Amino acid sequence: MEIQEQSVRSCAENMVEMVDVDEELFAVSSSSAADSAFDAVIGCIEDIIMEEDFQHLQQSFMEKHYLEFDDSDENKLSYTPIFNEYVDLLEKHLEQQLTERIPGFNMNTFIELLMHNKEEVPDDIYDMLLTFTDFMAFKEMFLEYRAAKEGRGLDLSQGLVVTSVGPAGSM
Amino acid sequence: MGLLTILKKMKQKEREMRLLMLGLDNAGKTTILKKFNGEDVSTISPTLGFNIKTLEHRGFKLNIWDVGGQKSLRSYWRNYFESTDGLVWVVDSADRLRLDDCRRELGALLLEERLAGATLLVFANKQDLPGALSKEAIREALALDDIKSHHWCVIGCSAVTGENLLAGVDWLLDDIAARIFTAD
Repeated sequence: MEIQEQSVRSCAENMVEMVDVDEELFAVSSSSAADSAFDAVIGCIEDIIMEEDFQHLQQSFMEKHYLEFDDSDENKLSYTPIFNEYVDLLEKHLEQQLTERIPGFNMNTFIELLMHNKEEVPDDIYDMLLTFTDFMAFKEMFLEYRAAKEGRGLDLSQGLVVTSVGPAGSM
Repeated sequence: MGLLTILKKMKQKEREMRLLMLGLDNAGKTTILKKFNGEDVSTISPTLGFNIKTLEHRGFKLNIWDVGGQKSLRSYWRNYFESTDGLVWVVDSADRLRLDDCRRELGALLLEERLAGATLLVFANKQDLPGALSKEAIREALALDDIKSHHWCVIGCSAVTGENLLAGVDWLLDDIAARIFTAD
């Protein structure tokens, strides 16, 4: 019994040490270890936004709010709080997932590192992350979702001629 | 502030500006926006929400936000303050009866912390109307000379004819660029 308890404790201690080491790695931006830690976080972010969980999060958010959006040039004031809620939701998800996956992850430290290593972020990831905070892209996403929900996903109306089948059509 | 918000701010530092256009209802904000964008300005109805247009000008990307100015909508203005580089205050120069109202609303905006760093451009609009006050008269009526907290400039313009609209944006752009992009 006693031995078991000890081993558990020492394992936990080791974990604490690992966390410390990781934090130091993040703090020193010039070392190559920090570079690879940085790259690892970027890779992780890429994974997270490609996962089904993330799509589900977006889908259920759109499901909740899509009826509020319509296709007029002028935007309703109500779009703004929904947009803020959306950005907040995605940010929280990203942070929570990163914290779960990377021992000792600290968002503030990472953000600081990011500001000094902007060039290190692959363009496609950078652009994708930026789309999440672009209001016009946000509105477009909702309009597309609504169109798809209402069966207007593809606008074929001009190319299709609707003819009725059966007796009524023979008039 | 989270990751995405920070990324956006970083991006905005690259030759991108956010301009917020406010003013009393019927001042001509949406007309100015549409005129800039080369759209038809003959039938514009009161804005109940907000409009956004992105313009490329002199190598800068200008994101212009125009929010409705009716009294009931003014409490929503604050939702659009964040990250504003330039505030465009539009005045109906022919609406003499509401100049006091106009001065008070502008004064309140200039106290807003989130607009503290923004450059102020006052458009004395509707100079094409016979009863319009000159930009000097607007300057006096709005007590612009008392403003010490912001860089400001008043320009007489007409949204309908397009007169002086670019001159205003050019001044705004120069002032913001000198502030933001030379600091790096």
